[in-house]
Amino acid sequence: MLFYILKRVAAGAIVLFLITVFTYTVFFVLSPDPAYMICGKTCTPDRIADIHEKLGLDKPFWEQIWIFISGLFVGREYGEGVNAVHCTAPCLGYSFQTSQSVFEMIVQRLPVSATLAVGAAVLWLLAGIGGGLIGAVKKGTWWDRGIMVVALSGISLPNYFVALALQYILVVKLKWLPFPTAVPFADDPLQWFQAYIMPWFVLAFMYAAMYTRLVRANVIDTLGQGFIRTARAKGLDPNIVMGKHALRPALTPALTLFGMDFAALLGGALITETVFGLNGVGKLTADSITQNDQPVIMAVTLLAAALVVVANIVVDLLYSVLDPRVRVKAQ
Amino acid sequence: MSRQKRSKNAPRTGSLKTVSIPIKGSTLLDVENLTVTFPTVRGPVDVVKDSSFRIDPGKTLGIVGESGSGKSMTSLAIMGLLPEGGEASGRIRFFGHDLLDRSDREMRRVRGDKIAMIFQDPLSSLNPYYTVGVQIAEAYRAHRGGSKAAAKKVAVDAMRRVKIADPEQRVDHYPHQFSGGMRQRIMIAMALCLEPDLVIADEPTTALDVTVQAQILDLMKELQEETGTGMLFITHDLAVVSEVADEVLVMKGGETMEHGTAEEIFSNPQSSYTTALLDAVPRITDVVGDIKGVSHE
Repeated sequence: MLFYILKRVAAGAIVLFLITVFTYTVFFVLSPDPAYMICGKTCTPDRIADIHEKLGLDKPFWEQIWIFISGLFVGREYGEGVNAVHCTAPCLGYSFQTSQSVFEMIVQRLPVSATLAVGAAVLWLLAGIGGGLIGAVKKGTWWDRGIMVVALSGISLPNYFVALALQYILVVKLKWLPFPTAVPFADDPLQWFQAYIMPWFVLAFMYAAMYTRLVRANVIDTLGQGFIRTARAKGLDPNIVMGKHALRPALTPALTLFGMDFAALLGGALITETVFGLNGVGKLTADSITQNDQPVIMAVTLLAAALVVVANIVVDLLYSVLDPRVRVKAQ
Repeated sequence: MSRQKRSKNAPRTGSLKTVSIPIKGSTLLDVENLTVTFPTVRGPVDVVKDSSFRIDPGKTLGIVGESGSGKSMTSLAIMGLLPEGGEASGRIRFFGHDLLDRSDREMRRVRGDKIAMIFQDPLSSLNPYYTVGVQIAEAYRAHRGGSKAAAKKVAVDAMRRVKIADPEQRVDHYPHQFSGGMRQRIMIAMALCLEPDLVIADEPTTALDVTVQAQILDLMKELQEETGTGMLFITHDLAVVSEVADEVLVMKGGETMEHGTAEEIFSNPQSSYTTALLDAVPRITDVVGDIKGVSHE
């Protein structure tokens, strides 16, 4: 098992290395020269050369990559001599717009995205698994059709539309909620809740729709399996047949999907955060793209990739715990 | 609205407990005019038509037929496990009690405990997520209760009875860790751990290779002699049925083509369909040539 974990971690590290090389190439080599972004209107060739030297852009490609990656682990210097700026590990550089440390910017905004992701995940798992189960057990009835129609609208209605419609109805028309302003939970729990409830719902609506369909299909498929017939032929209670024999095989495949979706959401919900004005990683991404703030764009890209890679490993390990057939192979 | 109460002494056909108490003069299983109907877009279709047979304790009835002949539906009707939409009519008397009158709740008491079933594909018939021990033990606990530890002991004993080596260790293994033949032994252990009166075996050897097939058949015969259970053996394989059955019923398209003792069927078949079936079996002594088929005019 330990060997298996090490193997997965090593494979994950290689993937992240390749993504780093790729994103660095896209944002620092193929993009417009970042030096112009920094010096603005008063650009002289001397100033450009100066910035190139400070950012290390005058060095050969592989050396730049090496400096960037080693900066993540041991920090790096920008510039040389007395003017050098030390960027402590994990160093993701400084924003071209605000000169803030990119790592700090992300750390500040991560809790917002995490709150959003966790809240939405709880909602969508409850709704998705519940809806899928009811749909499967009551297949072909009005319950099933009703749930499927709601699920279909969840998948087809764009996120921003649901978000705006919800704000318009609940905040502007009915005035049930104040306009959402995010505050830390400790400051004002009620306001915190009021700020997050709509974005949670918007995200959960979309994901729950997908999970409902997945769980419904999986449960129907499992109920047709031979071992369910065996369980019934043993004279087991229908609740045991469902709860013990059908649910576990039906829900385990959903775990893979959940790991990926949750990790992607931790990396920022671009549209939802922007529409609701939540200062999370998603809004940071949107802002940095509009301002062409390359160090930030690169950092959020790497963060998203790292989250997905980690989630992948965690899901695989969990899977080997939950599914005995995988467990034996892994050992 | 209160429902009329039955007097305690009045004989009840619907009582749970009486299922195991034979009605005088009754036999183990007596199926009379069983018809199984499924609704289709073109109207109801009878997949089993007017089928009648009986099974005595310790005896084996073989039902032979091609795919779609209705043999599996016959067995599922007895278990009360017909797929959605399926309707059974006629009589299925188990020790004199009509099983078609029973509620699902009452049938649950019968299933596994009084009538057990062994299926064709032992891999898909066992849940891959639970150890074989858990799956044998839960059948026992569902009917007899008791602690998990006691049920596990029953599972170990049942595995020993079906000649699985090292049952104390193997009881904690998962289905995929067993070979096909061993998995079918597990299914047999599961079916027999409650000592049912009737075992329905639906193509129990079809998914196994020939040498394993013989071992499983021997094991089933041996255990049947030991326990005296009646058996309904469903197969499309005439060679298998000739080994196990006392009586044989030949089905085609839901209809009974022929019914008699095994000897009668094999030595002197009355129906042309049975003759065709027997002729379709390739023999090792046959001159190499075309294998005869069964016509469906």
